[in-house]
Amino acid sequence: MNNPNISWTKVGLPRRAFLQGATALGGMAAAGMMFPRAAHATEGTLRTRTYADIRSMDPAFSQGVVDEEIQGAIYNKLIQYTPGRDWGWQLDAAAMIEQVDDTHINFALRDDIGFTNGFGAMTAEDVKFSFERIIDDALESTNRPDWGPLSHVEVTGERTGTIVLNNAFQPLWSITLPYIAGNIVSKNAFESVGGRIETEVVASSGPYMHAGWEPGQRTTLRRNPDWRGTPAAYEEIQIFHIDDERSAEIAFEAGELDFTRVSLDSVGRLRSNPIDGATLEEFPSLYYVWVGMNLDNPALQSLELRQAIQYAIDVPSIMEGAYYGVAQPSTGIIAPGLSGHREASLTGVSANMERAMELMAASGERNVSLTIDVLNKSTNVTTAQIIQANLAAIGISLDIRLHEAAAFWELGSDESMQLVLNRYSMTPDPYYATSWFITEQAGIWNWERFRSEEFDALHLAAQSEGDAEARAEMYRRAQDLMEESGAYKFLTHEATPVIYRNSVAPALRPDGLPIYRYFGTA
Amino acid sequence: MSDTSLPKPRSEMGETMHHLLRDPLGLVGLVIVTLIVGSALLAPWIAPYDPIAMNIPDRLQGPSAAHLLGTDQIGRDTFSRVIWGGRVALQVALPTIGGAVAIGLILGMAAGYGPKWLDTLIVLFFDTLRSFPTVMFALAVVALVGPSLNTVILVIMATSIPTYGRVVRTLTQSLKEAEFITAERALGASTLRIMGVHLLPNVLGPLAVLAAMDIPTVVGLEAGLSFLGMGVRPPTPSWGSLLNDGYSLIRNTPWLIIAGGIPLILTTIGFTFLGEALRDVVDPKLRGKGGK
Repeated sequence: MNNPNISWTKVGLPRRAFLQGATALGGMAAAGMMFPRAAHATEGTLRTRTYADIRSMDPAFSQGVVDEEIQGAIYNKLIQYTPGRDWGWQLDAAAMIEQVDDTHINFALRDDIGFTNGFGAMTAEDVKFSFERIIDDALESTNRPDWGPLSHVEVTGERTGTIVLNNAFQPLWSITLPYIAGNIVSKNAFESVGGRIETEVVASSGPYMHAGWEPGQRTTLRRNPDWRGTPAAYEEIQIFHIDDERSAEIAFEAGELDFTRVSLDSVGRLRSNPIDGATLEEFPSLYYVWVGMNLDNPALQSLELRQAIQYAIDVPSIMEGAYYGVAQPSTGIIAPGLSGHREASLTGVSANMERAMELMAASGERNVSLTIDVLNKSTNVTTAQIIQANLAAIGISLDIRLHEAAAFWELGSDESMQLVLNRYSMTPDPYYATSWFITEQAGIWNWERFRSEEFDALHLAAQSEGDAEARAEMYRRAQDLMEESGAYKFLTHEATPVIYRNSVAPALRPDGLPIYRYFGTA
Repeated sequence: MSDTSLPKPRSEMGETMHHLLRDPLGLVGLVIVTLIVGSALLAPWIAPYDPIAMNIPDRLQGPSAAHLLGTDQIGRDTFSRVIWGGRVALQVALPTIGGAVAIGLILGMAAGYGPKWLDTLIVLFFDTLRSFPTVMFALAVVALVGPSLNTVILVIMATSIPTYGRVVRTLTQSLKEAEFITAERALGASTLRIMGVHLLPNVLGPLAVLAAMDIPTVVGLEAGLSFLGMGVRPPTPSWGSLLNDGYSLIRNTPWLIIAGGIPLILTTIGFTFLGEALRDVVDPKLRGKGGK
């Protein structure tokens, strides 16, 4: 193959050079020079923060946002999310992509993209390898569901091909191609290391290369000199692993970070006392938070009792007390801006104590004592206490049971669970939200054991519904069914406040998550 | 002849109080402990608000005449929560220390006075219990059975037993060869009588000192577990949960963490001073030397 536009960068170092470099780094560390000073913040290095350490650099085993923030910068996809306030996509590795019918998507790759470490130009074979390996049962990819009904990828030329689906799959454009499962890796590179990788990247193709990972500390990305697209704005991006948002805020204020998410309780302070040379922006999040009720629990068999709980919970109080007035009440599991979002919930946002008391009386239940399981985080504990007070007003005694993360995420299979305060992550397609509440998921991710044939049928049909309004209506009806069951009280989608230096031009998804490849300087 | 010139002998309690009041640190300790215990006992009458009553519109207020220590994130009066938190602290500390002292006393005396094999067995039990770092042990148990006041009490009690047991065992061993015990034995006194009438009064004094000085440790441990969300369940106010609430808002509303921290500091100072002074009173070698 002849491709004069591409020269290949080798990231690997000769052993002697590595040892010399390591010695120099050791000396620097001993001299306390490892952390760049604030004065260097914008001199070619962007310093950001991630809340967790990376787990896999293999798109087939990527664990979500944290891995994708890095993979999105070092790999290419056919299309990428467009930064901004509205969800959309733009071309990336694809020079052209079009859906010719429900099950066929033609694409043509750009001719100037190649893989580092001498693994050649990106071809349609790489696309085929990247997508098909995820649906290969032998690989047991954790991201298999993201590819839905993919049949295969037909290679029609060196840089052209067709994605063939078994049936129509609307989420393809919103959560498959522009997200984790859409990353294109080098077939040759992966085959040279046995077909899969862990945290070591064998070949990059994006504007940045993976230059280093210090477990529990930071990941370093470096500008890819062979990238022929819009040039990467930074020579280096250092992504520090800082679990605690407040620690990240302190690091930002000390000049050690250029971009970070901030905690909701800091928004008020940062609004009233802005940091010099920095900008605070607030984005709606896609996460959804709700109170779930286990329909299989003997104590919750009365529909009227469950509905009384729905009506008694005062969401505006929770928004004020637990979310510091920064987040907005939600109407379901699908956030505003996404297809299927409901303008209003069936049980309302503010508590309706009169209705709740009527329902309690109709339920015939007396001296009701229930438990609510809660992940032990400040926001959750405060939320639970407000709910406790709300339910006390209608004669329900609620015992709050706090759990550490590991214990909490095991609760799905606990049939004795009654109420639970839960929070799931979300991608920008309603299909992802309803997936967890189908009958098949009861006792797995469907902790409420909500079972509805109509809901299951809607979930299935909406995946392939081509009419946007009809599809949206299906998801609205699906959420109505959830709420009508009395098993759900939807609380909020939370919010994503971020802060960045004015020297940085961040590129953020509509939910506030960073797309580092598009970050620039201001 | 008149005997009015002779001072009336004081009771043991009176003697102890006399020495405590003459020791400045002891006096300070006594005052602080009295304040803490008194406010905890009188919480329903002296707390100005219901400690769990929410008033969200008034959340995160600073100290004022209406709310001496401000309000928390859901508008609860922090001062009332501090007062009621003292009650929780004592609810944990008193049964914990009491239980650990009682069990430690029985086991320690049995080990010190009993046969060698029993001593070995009990010491092995103490060593096994002591080998668990208290906080880690507490976290493991709480993770298994869930957080509650009773769990906290049981865990701290279990890990405190060896401390008292070992002291009692050592004292018993040194006393059992004393002449007055040998004489009692020669006179045919039963083992129970020797332990109950002659050994027990001699070990109670040092044990009381140790218990007094352990109270802040137990209170601190409960606060630590509550801070981690592993102590008392919400909305029960505890100094640890106040610290937890305060920590998450430390940069916005620092008085919350101050309100949770001050009673812990005062408890530590009060009980430590009191314990030190009591030690001076109980230990005849230190009596009259101001403990120095």
